[in-house]
Amino acid sequence: MQPILEIRNGSKLFGKIPAFQEVDFAVSPGEVHAILGENGAGKSTLTKVLAGVYKLTSGEMLLNGVPVRLSTPAEGLQNGIVMVYQETNLVPSMTVAQNIYLGEEKTFNRLRGLYIQARQFLAGMGFQVDPTAQVAQLGAAQKQMVEIARAVHHKAKVIIFDEPTATLTPEEKRHFFNLIRRLVADGVAIIFISHALEEALQLADRITILRDGRLVASDVKAAFTRETIVQAMVGRNLTETLHGDHGRTARPYGERVLSVENLSSGTMVRNTSFSIFAGQVTGVFGLVGAGRTEMMRVVAGGLKRDIFHGGEINYCGKSVRYRVPRKAVRDGIVYVTEDRKFDGFFETMTVAENLQLGELSRFSNPLSIISMAQAKELARQWASRLQLRSINEKARVIELSGGNQQKVVIARSLIQKPKLVIFDEPTRGVDVGAIVEIHQFINGLADQGLAVVVISSYLPEVLALSDRILVAKRGKIVEEIKASDATEQQIMYAAVH
Amino acid sequence: MPGFPSFRLTQEEVIFCITVVLIGAFSLFLPKFLTAGNILTLLNNVATLGILAVGMALVVVGRGIDLTMIAVMVIGVAFSIWLSANGLPFGWALVVGGLLVIMVGIGTGTLVAVADVPPIFATLGLASVVYGAGRIVFKSDVVYAPTGYDWFTFLGTGTIAGIPVSVCAAALLAGLVALFLRKTRFGRFIYATGDNPFAARTIGLPTRPVIISQYAASAFIAFLSGILMCAVVSGINTRLYNSTLIYDVLLVVVLGGIGLSGGQGGVRNVIVGTILVGVLTNGMTILNVSFTAQNLIKGVILLAALAIDAVLNPRDEQTSQSGDI
Repeated sequence: MQPILEIRNGSKLFGKIPAFQEVDFAVSPGEVHAILGENGAGKSTLTKVLAGVYKLTSGEMLLNGVPVRLSTPAEGLQNGIVMVYQETNLVPSMTVAQNIYLGEEKTFNRLRGLYIQARQFLAGMGFQVDPTAQVAQLGAAQKQMVEIARAVHHKAKVIIFDEPTATLTPEEKRHFFNLIRRLVADGVAIIFISHALEEALQLADRITILRDGRLVASDVKAAFTRETIVQAMVGRNLTETLHGDHGRTARPYGERVLSVENLSSGTMVRNTSFSIFAGQVTGVFGLVGAGRTEMMRVVAGGLKRDIFHGGEINYCGKSVRYRVPRKAVRDGIVYVTEDRKFDGFFETMTVAENLQLGELSRFSNPLSIISMAQAKELARQWASRLQLRSINEKARVIELSGGNQQKVVIARSLIQKPKLVIFDEPTRGVDVGAIVEIHQFINGLADQGLAVVVISSYLPEVLALSDRILVAKRGKIVEEIKASDATEQQIMYAAVH
Repeated sequence: MPGFPSFRLTQEEVIFCITVVLIGAFSLFLPKFLTAGNILTLLNNVATLGILAVGMALVVVGRGIDLTMIAVMVIGVAFSIWLSANGLPFGWALVVGGLLVIMVGIGTGTLVAVADVPPIFATLGLASVVYGAGRIVFKSDVVYAPTGYDWFTFLGTGTIAGIPVSVCAAALLAGLVALFLRKTRFGRFIYATGDNPFAARTIGLPTRPVIISQYAASAFIAFLSGILMCAVVSGINTRLYNSTLIYDVLLVVVLGGIGLSGGQGGVRNVIVGTILVGVLTNGMTILNVSFTAQNLIKGVILLAALAIDAVLNPRDEQTSQSGDI
């Protein structure tokens, strides 16, 4: 059968960084096509290209065999391509019916007529959603139904789902699967991204696997088993990275700095327990949404309106529960954020001023006089320790490269003289040279006896840095693996099952 | 950095240039403008405004805005006068008034920092509350200062080395606040909180105390400017609350180049802004420009300054994220 939507030899670059390269992808009517891969493999970007959010940098895209160039999601929509995002794109303050017919209101819009129309339409699809209900009041699955209803209403021929089941309960999931099957029976092509292998194996007709922006495998479902999928997802030089960093023996366990027992908080941290030891690097791996950041932010007092559901945090032998980071920082726990622009650095300040704040935060006398000369000296010291290359002394941090910005944030955290450092994605958006330097530095910290935690979505990074690896899944640490025994497959297997 | 202009004129410098040009023009065409007497009058006229603007700057640097200042100023002073009319010595009455005003400031700060009410609404609402509560007590619009206190008369009409006391007081306060902002730990915390409140929190700065004390300080500074104003005209007109004074204060702050997004600028900007407004008002008054036209011209100048700044210093897009891969 002729594919309805196809990409031939497509690449997408952001600046010079490729999101995916030389990928061939096709989906036929009445087919469910699953796209699998690690975080950052390029899945989201690929589907966004298909939906018209981004344009291909090179290669071509064909719709029903005819080359097309979609430049906006609206154009995708006109051609029957609809994308359903993880975060739903509905207007929360409007009703279900208003959302379905959004953008096609008549000059004199009668709600009553709209509701009658919507009720018939929804009933026709077998959806049990009240068209007069406000979207904000609906559950995740119902919101998804509304999205799908909207897609069907737009006569969608291709529907793309980004992690459709991540927020669904098992019951809702079953309902969702039935929906998909009904759509497929009507000849709609379905593309979905998922981290859950079971779902892909259960639902998909074809599976495409991406790794580091490249196509690794694409075939009918029958050609895959769970093991071959995991291997294809992880793939990189398996033999070489078997033991993380070659020739390095794991550091011994130091003093138990932190122990967390049965911690629950909000919806993201569910009854988890783990320990962190001094003098070694503990890697925390998990897929997006596994609750790694949240676990660590609870420990460091960083979650703003956190809902503490119980559990025990023991830090240096005493039970603690930090409500603001200030207390945690005073006690020696620092959290190096994953999003430095949001809550990492102060963009209008210079490197010296940024670093100085780390020093100032350690003392409390508010009226003590500060010295800029001292701050500059501090900046000089840390610049040489971290190979931080600033344009000049007066440059604001925002003008530096990503790697140097990250080094500023790391230096500032260490000036606070921590005992436990939590690095959240320490090399995100950092150039390759700086990644190596940051890794060496992190290793150095553990050698000096600090307790170091590295949260990362990138397996090679976890393996290269860690002495001990904790794997998180659905708000819980599910497995603890010694780095010396760990394989990428083993870790990935634990994270997805 | 490639493509980075080597020559940048900040808004403060733009305003400074405009001020210099205006002074030059007025001196050339208005013979009465550049006399010692007129310059002192000019400064004397903007002393109160300058003090208020210093207080406002303290809050704006921390990414806030304080619209309660005028209400706090008139009610705080009127309350002190009312206390002294009821038997308390005037000095003590001012102390009590000052404490009350600080309490109000702490209340504002708590609303903003703890209850997370956006500062513009929190202070707008509290301004009405403060003014309304005050007006229940004092029925008349104008409250007259008690007579017979020499120090108070000196504050209003005296001079130090030929310079009016109010100008000296404004200069002293500006100097103190500048020192506080630039040189103390807490001053740095204010800049940090204004620059990026989330980062300030994450790295363990006391963000709530910082915000609360900012509003307490701005309220107290408003009260000080009220005392000065009361000393100069020997009374306080509570109707000022309904005037455009608060907008003039904001005009000075924004004109001087303190961005409302926080973390930038300082007392120097306030001084530049205040002097521009002073020069403008003085010159136009000598030229006999009507009050309405003066407001119009001030508005145009504010917009022009903001537009020039936007053209000279376009927003940084170079660090925008390269997309979700």
